[in-house]
Formats: sequence, C-alpha cells, structure tokens
Amino acid sequence: MTSERLRSIGLSLLAPAIAIVLSILVTTVVIAAVGSSPGDFWSTMFEVPKPRLRVDILNQTAMIYIAAVAAAIGFRMGLFNIGLEGQYTIASFAAASFAGAAYLSGLANVAAAIIVAMAVGALWSGIAGVLKTTRGVSEVISTIMLNSIAITLVGYFLNTRGVKEGNTVHTKNLEAGSTLGGFAPFEDRDGEIWALTIIAVLVGIGFWVLLNHTRFGFDLRASGQSESAALASGINPKRMILISMMLSGAVAGLIWLPALFGGARNYGTSFQAGLGFLGIAVALLGRNRPLGMLFGALLFAFLSVKSNDLTFGTDVSPSIVQITQGVAVLAVVVTYEVVRRWRTRLEQRTVSRELAGANGATS
Amino acid sequence: MPSAVDAVQLRGIGKRFPGVIANHDVDVTIRSGTVHALIGENGAGKSTLMKILYGVQRPDEGTITIEGREVVLKSPTEAIEAGVGMVFQHFMLADNLTVLENMVLGAEKLHGIGDGARAEIRRISDRFGFDLDPDVLVEKLGVAARQRLEIAKVLYRGARIIILDEPTAVLVPQEVDALFANLDELKDAGNSVLFISHKLDEVLAIADDITVMRRGTTVGTADPATATKHELAELMVGSELPSPETEESTVTDTVQLSLADVTLTDEFGRNLLTDLSLTIRRGEVLGIAGVEGNGQSELVETIMGMRIPTAGRIHLGAEDVTNWHTRRLREAGIGYIPEDRHRHGLLLDAPLWENRILGHQTRPPSSKGIWINRRGARQDTARIVEEYDVRAPGIDTPARALSGGNQQKLIVGREMSGDPVLLIASHPTRGVDVGAQAAIWDHIKRARRAGLAVLLISADLDELIGLSDTIQVILRGRFVGTFDPSDVTPQDLGSAMTGGQAA
Amino acid sequence: MRRLTKLSAVAAVAALALAGCGGSDSEGGSGSGSDKTAASDDVCKSADGDGPKIGLAYDVGGRGDQSFNDSAYAGLEKAVEDFDATCVEGEATDGEAESAREDRLRNMAENGAVAIVGVGFAYSESVNAVAPDFPEVNFAVIDGFDPDEDANDNVAYLGFAEEQGSFLVGVAAAQKSKTGTIGFVGGVNTELIQKFEAGYTAGAKAAKPDIKVEVQYIQESDLSGFGDPAGGKAAATGEFDKGADVVYHAAGGSGSGVFDAAVEAGEGNFAIGVDSDQYLTATDAQKPFILTSMLKRVDTATYDFAKSIDAGKPLVSYTVYDLKADGVGYSTSNKSVISDLTADIDSYKEKIISGEITVPTKP
Repeated sequence: MTSERLRSIGLSLLAPAIAIVLSILVTTVVIAAVGSSPGDFWSTMFEVPKPRLRVDILNQTAMIYIAAVAAAIGFRMGLFNIGLEGQYTIASFAAASFAGAAYLSGLANVAAAIIVAMAVGALWSGIAGVLKTTRGVSEVISTIMLNSIAITLVGYFLNTRGVKEGNTVHTKNLEAGSTLGGFAPFEDRDGEIWALTIIAVLVGIGFWVLLNHTRFGFDLRASGQSESAALASGINPKRMILISMMLSGAVAGLIWLPALFGGARNYGTSFQAGLGFLGIAVALLGRNRPLGMLFGALLFAFLSVKSNDLTFGTDVSPSIVQITQGVAVLAVVVTYEVVRRWRTRLEQRTVSRELAGANGATS
Repeated sequence: MPSAVDAVQLRGIGKRFPGVIANHDVDVTIRSGTVHALIGENGAGKSTLMKILYGVQRPDEGTITIEGREVVLKSPTEAIEAGVGMVFQHFMLADNLTVLENMVLGAEKLHGIGDGARAEIRRISDRFGFDLDPDVLVEKLGVAARQRLEIAKVLYRGARIIILDEPTAVLVPQEVDALFANLDELKDAGNSVLFISHKLDEVLAIADDITVMRRGTTVGTADPATATKHELAELMVGSELPSPETEESTVTDTVQLSLADVTLTDEFGRNLLTDLSLTIRRGEVLGIAGVEGNGQSELVETIMGMRIPTAGRIHLGAEDVTNWHTRRLREAGIGYIPEDRHRHGLLLDAPLWENRILGHQTRPPSSKGIWINRRGARQDTARIVEEYDVRAPGIDTPARALSGGNQQKLIVGREMSGDPVLLIASHPTRGVDVGAQAAIWDHIKRARRAGLAVLLISADLDELIGLSDTIQVILRGRFVGTFDPSDVTPQDLGSAMTGGQAA
Repeated sequence: MRRLTKLSAVAAVAALALAGCGGSDSEGGSGSGSDKTAASDDVCKSADGDGPKIGLAYDVGGRGDQSFNDSAYAGLEKAVEDFDATCVEGEATDGEAESAREDRLRNMAENGAVAIVGVGFAYSESVNAVAPDFPEVNFAVIDGFDPDEDANDNVAYLGFAEEQGSFLVGVAAAQKSKTGTIGFVGGVNTELIQKFEAGYTAGAKAAKPDIKVEVQYIQESDLSGFGDPAGGKAAATGEFDKGADVVYHAAGGSGSGVFDAAVEAGEGNFAIGVDSDQYLTATDAQKPFILTSMLKRVDTATYDFAKSIDAGKPLVSYTVYDLKADGVGYSTSNKSVISDLTADIDSYKEKIISGEITVPTKP
C-alpha cells in the first residue's frame, strides 16, 4: 500500500516535472533563436536571490497564491472565473477607499477593510453568477466583460473622488495606525514580509479543509466532476454556481490586501495589475491542489522577481520569463492529460491483476 | 464442408489485460467450415479473446494456430494476412462514400479501385447473397445492409475466418434470419465463422459448435443439437440460473408513496406527464412498463424532485412532498438507482468511498454536521463492498476501474443503506452480467420483505413480471393499463405498451 | 473534467499569447531601434569613460517605444558623450510589482550609479522609498512628484510645461485651418491630458478668436485609451466629419489611429503629433498629413540632470521644463506644410517666454 501511495505521488509529480523541463527547453530555444545566450540567462535566473529579492518573492508568492486559490474554487466546480482581475481590482479599490476614509482606527480598520474587500469581490463575481443561473450567460464571457467594467469604474471613481498628486491620482493614504508593515528577516532596507501574507496561509488551509473535509467541498467537487451526478445526488446546481462564484470572488478580493496594508498605503500607481491572470495560470499549473498551487505560485513569483536581474548582466528581455510561464502552463495541461490516461490504464490493470489473483486463489 | 485441418486452434491463451477479467487457460477449436459460437456473460473475456485472435491484443501466453500453422499476430493487418477478419459491433464505414469506395479503402492494391474491384464486389455479393450495389452511397444503406457490407469487406480482403461480434444486436428478427442464411452460404464456401453472442436462442439456431466462457476462461463446450437453453445459461453463470420470481406477497396497507393527478409540462407547454396517479404501499414493488421515451425518465425525475410537477400532488407517507427538492427527498429516505449510472450515479474519477457519499452527503455515516466523516464513509464503503460483493481491490480504487456490474452493485448497496422507505430503481440490472443481476434482484426482494416500497422501471419484461406486485403501463406520459404480474404475459404487456390494448 | 481540460487549454493558449505579446513588444523595440542606427548600438555597453555612472530606469515599453523612453535614451546618449560618463539601463515589464521598480533602482545604485533617472511618474513612489537608503546617490523622476511630506534632498522631479508646447501647436492648427474648426483627441480624461487640451485651445483662440475646437477623449479613465489606435481613429474621424481639418492628439499609442483618420479625410486635412517628432516615425502614407508635433523634451531633462551631477551641483526638488528651458516645443520636419507658419508660431513663443502670455493649465 505504501509503495502504491508513493507511486501515486510520483505520478502526480510527473506532469509538472515534464512541464517545467519542457518550458526550460522552449525558453532556451527562443533565447538562442533571437541570438542571445541561454547560458547567461539561466545562470542569472538560478543565481541565489539577494535578500531583498527573497522578501519580494515571498510577498509575491502570497498574492499569487491567493489568486490561484480563488481561481481553483471556480475550477473545482467546473467554472472558469476569468474575472479575478476585475474582482480584485474593484475590491482592492473599495478596501483602500474604505480604509483610507478611516471610519475606524487601527486594527479594526484593517479587519473591516478585509471584510469590505471580500464582500465587494463576492458581489462583483456574484453578478456573473446571477447572470449564469438566471439567464444562462457563460461565466467566461460575463466575467471578461465585468473585468472591463470594473477597471473603468475604478478609474472613474479614482478620477472623481481620488486624491490628486503630481500626475497621478490615488485613494486617501492609510493612517499610520492602519499600516501593518511586516516582518523584516534581513536588514530593514531589504524590505519586509508583509503582515497580511498570512492571509495566503489561511486561505490555503481553508481551501484544503473546505474541499476535503466539508459537505460543501464535497458538493463542489461533485458538481465539478459530473453535473448530472451532482444533480441526482440532491445538489442544487444553481445554488452551487452562485455560492462558488461568490466565494471565488471573495477570495479574489483578498489578493492585493497584503500589499495595500504592507507598503502601498493607497490604491494608485503602486497597484499591481495582472495578478488575477497569474492566479489562473498557477491554478492550472498546480492542478487546483493546495500544495501544487503553492509550488506554482512560488515558481511564478521566483521567475517574475528574478527576471529583473536580467537587465543587468544579460541582454535578454525580462519579458522572456512570460514565455517560460506560458509554456509551463500549456505543457502541464497537456502532460497532465497524457499522464491521467496512462494512470487510468495502470489502475485498471492493477484491478484486473488483483482480481485475477484472487480468482486464482479461490478456484 | 469441414476439412481435416481445424481453422483455428487457441491453446492456453492468457492475457493480463486492462479490465476486470483477464483471459487465462483459454482453449478454443474452430473446425473448418463451421459456425462456432462463443458465449458468456458480459465481462467473461469474450472481447479480449477475439481481440487476441484479430491481432489487436497480444496474448501473454498460449499459442494461436491457424489452418495448421502457428502464428504470432502483432496487428490486424497480420491477422488479415493469416486469413482472419473481424466485423465489429460498431460499423466502421464512411457514410459519404459509396459501397465500392468503402470496400477498397485501405485495400487498393488487391483489385485496384476501378472495374476490377467492382467485378470482385459483384462476385462476392452474388456468391453469398449480399445484394450489394457497388455504386450506392453508404448513407443510403440500412443497418442490415451495412452489416453485410462489413462482412463483404472482410471477405474482399481475403479472410476465410470471420469473427462476428454480437452481430444480431442491431438487427430485427427478419434481418437475423437473412443474416443466418448468409452465414450458411459462407459455411458452404468453406469459410469459418466465430459467432459471439449471448442470445441463446440464436446460438442454438445457427451454431455447429458452442464454447462457453466464464470469468476469463473457457468452461466447456456444448453440442447445439442436444443442449438446452437452460444448460447453456447454467454453464455461463456457473450456478443455478437466477430467477426473478417473487415469493408470497408482502404488500401492507401503509401507503408509502402516492401521486395524485401529477402533470408535468415542458417549457413549450406540452405535457410530458398527464394526470398520473399511483400508490405504492410498504412492502410493495410497483413496476412501470413502457417503451423507452414514454415518460419514465420524467416520472422518476419528478418523484426525485429534479423536476417540480405543474399540477397534482405527491405524498411520501403522510407528508406532501410535491415541491421538495432532491436533497430533502433523499434525506426523507428515498433511495435512487438511476438509469444511467455513469451520468447520474457515480463520480467516475473519484474513489469508491467518495462515491459512497454521493447522494448521502447530509446523512451519517457520510457526514457529521457540515463536515464530511471520512472515517465513517470509508468504514461503510468497506461494509458495502463486503455485503454486496463489489469486486474491487480496495475502497480507494476509482469507480471508473470497476466493471459495470460491480459499479451497479456499489450503487445498490449505497442506496439501500440508511434504511430507505422508498426505492426508485430505474433499469437496475441494465448492462450488468447475470451474476450481478441475480444479486441485485435478491437485494430488492429482501428489502421488499423488510417493508421497503419500490418503484421499478425496467425494459426487461421478465424482470418486471418476476419482481413486481403490480405493473402499470405508461404510454405517452399516461398510464394506460394496470396488470397483475401473476397472470400477465410479456405479450399482453407488449401490446399495451404499444397502444394496442388497454386493460 | 473534460470541460475543464478544454478550458484550461484555452487559458494556457491565452497565457502564451500574452507572453508572446510581451515578447514581441521588446522585439519590436529592438527592431524599430535598428532603423535609427544610433539607438541600436547600446551606448551603455561601449561607454567606458571615467565620468559619473548614470542609471536609466525605463517605463513599460522600454527603449524603442519611439516616444518617452527613446527620448530619455537620446538624452542619456548625449550625456555619456559629453561628460565621458558610463551608464546602466533597466526596463519595466507590464503588470510588475511596485517592489520590482524598487529593486531596479536599488540594483542600479548598488552597481555604482550616482545619478538615476526614473522615466515616468510611476517611479515616484519607488524613488521615494529607495532614495533615503542611498544618500550619496541622486535620483530624478520624469513627470514625478514627492508622494509624502518628508522632502528628499537627493531627488529631482522633472516636469514639463505641456500646455505651453500645446499652445504653439494650437496656433499652428488655427492658422492652418480653412474651415474654422479644429479638433483635439485625448487618450484618457485626466488632469495631465487636460493640460494639453487647455494649452491647445488657448493657442488656437489666440491666433483666431472665433475658431471652434472639437474635443474628444477616447476613455474617461481606463488607461487603455493610450493604447487604442482604433479608438483614436474613431474619435478623430468624428471630428473630421464635424468639419475639423486639423486634429491634435495627446493619446500616446492611440495616435497612429488619429494619423490614419487624417489620411482618410484626405488632402487638406492634418494631424498633429505629441511627445516626440512623430513625423520621423510615421509611415510614408501618414507623413504628408502630419503638420507638426508638440515636443516634450525628455532628452533635455535627462541630459540636464546628468549635467548637474557632472557639474557637482545636483538638481533637487521640482523643476519645470518650459519653453524657456527648451523643455517643450514644436517640430518643423514636415517643412512644406509648416514653414509658412513658423514665423507666427515663434512670435507667440517669444511672448510666452517673456511672460506676456500666460498659458492656462485647465480647459
């Protein structure tokens, strides 16, 4: 049994391993094709990161991981929430505005802002959920459009209500009591691991518990695996769609909060766009598994942060890591399907062998 | 005419093969110029064996001797070269091509693609009475003609040994007779036919020799001249043939389920179900007979709360459950064996113990409050696997890896747990082997004795007559007749099902 | 499961496509750079003088954007030559984190740069965070501002009097117009772009008091208005249809659409470029229709900053590059259409420099 378990773990690591090797190969070929040195590229990328980059990598990992979990909640249900981007944009803006307005002070303000972010994210994704359950609109289409609407809406409110400074506009700065800062593992100038990266840990554990140990999680997975079987088992599909869509949006609302309370202090030029799409990619890479996505997030954060070093020392554009990331995702999807089929065959063979053995013994 | 050399000799064939049953120690001898029937229940290893003979699979052990020569078949191409051809149950024809084009496709070298080929096709067609016009589009052909074309294709490629995989499954009785006439012609020309089937009447009618398979091996041969259906069936099952005969009535006076004038309307306002009324008492099995597509699925889905009736009331015991949804109904004690287990009954990629939870998410032992009770679910799955004889290596095996019969036994075990008050069984033994069928019937009978009310929907009239206390016939969403199974014949039911007569 | 696989394939392809876009951006950059032989040779690789080391941190797009970043590089190139300086460059990627910008600046400082220029206001926050850690290094932010109350004594904020340059092209537009109606296309309706509009309108009215100015913004708040040629074309076409015969754009990458609209409007209609001399980078078909361009001399500002370092008197705090400092201006590359207007435009220029005319910054 243990060797079988080991083999099963080995098999589930196989697909991502192949995918990473493949993406390294493709990246190498692309770099060589444009006439740069792949050797320089990889030696720069694999160099041990400087302390401040280690801090950055951890902070980025946390945010990407939250985004990945948000995407995975949808995926496990069979929903493609491509609207994470819009959900966390509008939720971040709402949380920053709320916290900046300082209705409350200190930690109460932070806690309330977290709730605001989750509520706004959930409401925004809930629109797509309602459209799907009442009108049959595909969530892929509606969430893409809601992304666009969210970004426009935030821009409008920022322009009309925001604080103007130089050529930029941002929400009111947080009061000193509401900035949490973080923990500086190295020298102060190397930066801090933001306090709210803890959200990523909680979200990860919560996701695992929810999925594997609760009735709701079972219903979610069942719906994702077979809509018809879920219906026959008494799951209300519309309710599940709405709830999981809103849950995905609520988690998406948390994505940028570590940065907001860690160092950004306001929603403005320092808002980091694109985390939603990264989260989708990482969810695919990690096969929607809590641990798999953690490695995926770490890998993506590492690649993104380290890519900055490329401008010094090599003539390779930092954008090249996006190719590495893209190929990794594509390859993992393909190899996973291949491995899955292979694994199914293996399982069937195991079954037949064990049964044949049992028959032989009895007859 | 039978010649001295046997057409095919299979000796000691064994195969470790993805599937529930592997072949082992298989011995078959097909005499030249005969029709040889290979029979056995689903999953007995017939498919594996014929794939080995056709070169699709390679045996792990044993020898294949064709016309006196020992061969190793690595691919269908080599099988055809050795003179073995196969006609699959699912035809492999290109609809938008003509008979001629389909015939020469992949065999262009034999007789060219023009008049040479056309003449050869005519020759084959005339010789065996296939009645094939080379220049007709395949899409214009009926099922029987397509099958003849498939057989002709095999002959065109030079096969002398023809494997037919359940050829009569797709044919109506007159077509079966015509096919048998063709087979006689083939035999007369010195060809040999391996005829795979589980329809014992047909086997007795056409075969010269019979080999029976069970659990992956050949368990015996029979002479069609002397063997009876009953004997063959016993050989196939390996024990006394199960019969669905119910014992004495256990019907009580307590009404468990009642429908009063239930009407269901679709989105266009058409009636799917019209004024259905029925009652099932505790300890009673109510059978629903009908040609498929006459409202059976809708009736089940309405009772199960997946659809809400447009009019009428449904009561479970004393409770009005008309507007209840599936989960609440399941919690109230309705067990449900769906007609399509893959679509509605299982999570194929999930392990058995998770499948145990499906449909029972809210009840012990699957859950405690909002939590899934993994330990409880696993223990209970082990119990079901044991009690219901689900053959699987363990409860962590994905449901997909099990054979249909074992999957169905798991579902039955699951739906019987938690002491249901009502069981909705939709085609409970469809697509399962005879052994599993007998076991499932036993479980239903036992539950009935214990006071369970059962709604049984089946296309198998013997099953309906054998298990039910009352039979209702449904036609176009209405009940058109009530029968007492003790004095009804399948013919009576058949006539009511097609609207010929209402009793 | 199947559906999920399909969806994930779509996502992966999308991710790859995004990565491809990122890649092609930088490709396009070096490709068009090679048109201008000066830009294709990397001055930072060959420079080995013993003057100050200058760091240049680009905005998204990097070198080869034919606008902002290229202009900054031109200034750098000149500075390297004149002061025997060496230099180091770094490029932003789309959607990067605030920490990535900080890391870029720190990297430069650690690599020995004594003067570091952040191109674009997006560097305001990161320079503010990094500057205190490197008191011996001088920083400059193009279009930047100081985001907090603590003044940095080693940071220069280099702004431009865009309204003055726009005034001059407004004069040119009014003088060129035969219909008495001219147009303005803004990328995004922000305060910064309104500055362009205000100057342009004022210049036009100064030249012809009864001129009519059609104003159109592509986006109210979404920054995509700066990268939407189709939107630019639609807006400009609308204005040409309303009788305008000269249209000025302040819409970044959307400008090429405005030029196309002028081409389609036919002979006698013109467009006016922005930031750099867009006549030089326009297609042959567009060239005859480009009346002039409002120049924003990022090169001058960059060079000026380097010069101040070299002279030992580093620029600090706010500096506005106006007409007087040659920080803004207009181009005369399309001689056949602009030459008869230059005398008039230059007289206005004198009046602005002398203070006789004050140009408004709000419409």
